[in-house]
Amino acid sequence: MTRFQPFLPRRSLWRLALWALLLAPLAGAFAAGYPAVTNARLAHAATDNGWLMFLRDYTGDSYAPFRQINSRNVADLKLAWDYDIGMKRGFEASPIVNGRYLFVTTPKDHLLAFDAVTGKVLWTYQENLTGVGLKTVCCDVVNRGVALYGNNVYMATLDNYVVALDAKTGKVVWRRQIKPADVGYAMTLAPLTVQGMVIVGTSGGEYGARDFVVALDAKTGREIWRQYTVPSPGQPGSDTWPKGGIYQHGGGSAWLTGTFDPASDTLFWGGGNPGPWLATLRPGKNLFTDSLQAFDPRTGKRKWYYQYTPHDSWDYDGVNTPMITSLTYHGRRYQAIVHADRNGWLYVIDRDTHKLIYAVPFAHTMSVAGFRDGLPYTDDAARPTIKKQIFTCPSFLGGKNWWPASVDPATHMVYVPTIHTCMTMKGAPTFYKPGLAYLGETFKVVHDPNDSNWGALQAFDLDTGKRVWDHESARPWDDGAMSTAGGLVFSGTEGGHLLAFDAHTGAVLWRSPKLSSGIIAPPVTYRVDGTQYVAILAGYGGATPIWGGEMVKAVADVPRGGHLYVFSLKR
Amino acid sequence: MAGRLLQAFLSAALLAALPVQRGKAASPPPALYTQSQARQGASTFEGKCASCHGHHLEGGVGPALEGPVFASAKSGFTIQQIYEFLSVEMPAYAPGSLSRTQYLDITAFLLQQNGYPAGSRALTDRIASASTVPLLFQAALKAPAKVAKSRAHAGRPLDMPKTNAP
Ligand code: HEC
Repeated sequence: MTRFQPFLPRRSLWRLALWALLLAPLAGAFAAGYPAVTNARLAHAATDNGWLMFLRDYTGDSYAPFRQINSRNVADLKLAWDYDIGMKRGFEASPIVNGRYLFVTTPKDHLLAFDAVTGKVLWTYQENLTGVGLKTVCCDVVNRGVALYGNNVYMATLDNYVVALDAKTGKVVWRRQIKPADVGYAMTLAPLTVQGMVIVGTSGGEYGARDFVVALDAKTGREIWRQYTVPSPGQPGSDTWPKGGIYQHGGGSAWLTGTFDPASDTLFWGGGNPGPWLATLRPGKNLFTDSLQAFDPRTGKRKWYYQYTPHDSWDYDGVNTPMITSLTYHGRRYQAIVHADRNGWLYVIDRDTHKLIYAVPFAHTMSVAGFRDGLPYTDDAARPTIKKQIFTCPSFLGGKNWWPASVDPATHMVYVPTIHTCMTMKGAPTFYKPGLAYLGETFKVVHDPNDSNWGALQAFDLDTGKRVWDHESARPWDDGAMSTAGGLVFSGTEGGHLLAFDAHTGAVLWRSPKLSSGIIAPPVTYRVDGTQYVAILAGYGGATPIWGGEMVKAVADVPRGGHLYVFSLKR
Repeated sequence: MAGRLLQAFLSAALLAALPVQRGKAASPPPALYTQSQARQGASTFEGKCASCHGHHLEGGVGPALEGPVFASAKSGFTIQQIYEFLSVEMPAYAPGSLSRTQYLDITAFLLQQNGYPAGSRALTDRIASASTVPLLFQAALKAPAKVAKSRAHAGRPLDMPKTNAP
């Protein structure tokens, strides 16, 4: 510790020289060490200089209070550094930044740690997937990034491990498998760290899984609680399922990171689509699939829920981020959850009464036809059977898929990445076999007859529910949005440009040079030593080119390969 | 107690069954398709499936469809299950869009690539959709070079990053 003392006795000078030698390889990389990620820092992640978690902070609003890069100077944004990762699969990770450490994950669960200022690689980690068949991974072998706690970095893997690594060295601290691989379950999400726990959820709604959210001790990996999204007989909600064993393959995947409200001590997490897809095989509302769920973070006990799509037959999931915000609607102040669902409706839900405040369509909505007494109802004509092929909107891809929307507290707007898709769908024979999909439907994604574009980024005023601006795109809009106090909204295109929009008007104020590939990973921003950076991974892949039906043509020419880009204003 | 007894009985039964299974694996796998079906299947696979499952079935965004991890005792797939699955749910962008014949040809090709021999009788819809024959990778019946390759595919390394100076 003597090396930071201003006055040094002779002996210590020698020691200092020795330290200098030892640290020489790191020189230039670091002025400071790794700042521990405490509960307090996570609680105030919104104002941290880094980007400490998946959607920046516990509200999930992907909003940063930085204004160095703003609507007046964004046109001068330049490349600060970049890094060619390669790997021609989908890159969906948000870079996570703490101090000068920047972490990204890649397809097939590699993790790279960079110096956030120079781009120097500090260490890499590679999950060993030898012997893993990736049989029950639907939508590309993606990973959405890491979580931080203490001096550890956490990744959830395709073979259902949660891995804790030393953030400074990449050395494994612990690994825990929460389910065997290849039998219906996989993980692609960024974990969430809450009060000393690492919280993850499983994917598997297409494979007859019975999915769950699980909390592990961040220090040891010990399991603290596990909550299934589909109840077993006798549990609350079980009366919304047919009798018998079907619940064991009922899906309800919890495949996207949730949010956390410290004030009410509530963890919010989406429940995904029910399984099998064909609803006639499982009469009932099928709770808690396609539902917002509010959990006690200490026990995993479910406090309340709101089902977005009852008795889903369209794979609408319900996992899109439940964003925590407050708003004023018809003169009344609300503590709200804002959620743009795959089914095409923007839900605004009262966190106090657990009732719907309002819902507005942001895409062409046919399956969920409207609301009665604050609850959604569906159109029977849109329900497929073994004999009946239907046409409905949106397609199972949405509306909007997982790509996070952003809520800007300054403009009171929510920025919603949108895809204009519809589909045909018909029942089909199916059987449950671990390792195979369990759908019971065939389908094809087709164009929305009401819209000549495949995508859009839209802004809605949360206080009125009205659309404020709409940036239409010939290609699907498959990237997250990030807003900043600089009056900007950032989001990337499948054509490979990162765009900065005027948050108020939607005018495009900056367009990056064409990056090496299409963008399907959300942008983030961070500050080091007074400089604001914007970071994004390019690397096309994901669900659209696999399941996109007619939409595949619109993205067939997108080049592949992962590449990390970091921008700043050069001064 | 009764549960325990049952468990003991079941594990005994399982143990008894094991050598039989081993015996089965050792006996030559049945010839269920013709060479010309597999040849046709290879070309349909290349056009409709390879973009996701790899040109050598080694896997891509879709799982590998050849080798000991795909056709494993652990997975326990039967030919009927694989045939019915792929003919209803694949290709992913347009499930069920190919003809019966095309799906049968592809199934023949998958059997061939997993070490099953061709024969003189064609694989028909009736046979495939009733076949309880387990799909188990027949390493011994595949050319050694191919086996080595498939093993290399199992854990593909990161194509190592190139640094771009800041
Ligand atoms: C656009 C991408 C895509 C195409 C094209 C495609 N598949 Fe698949 N396939 C997948 C994905 C992804 C999975 C795994 C997830 C699933 O089953 O939903 C899969 C799963 C499978 C499985 C199950 C494997 C296992 O171990 O569980 C089989 C068999 C299969 N595909 C066969 C085919 C055949 C045959 C074709 C061509 C007719 C084809 N696929 C075309 C993406 C594709």
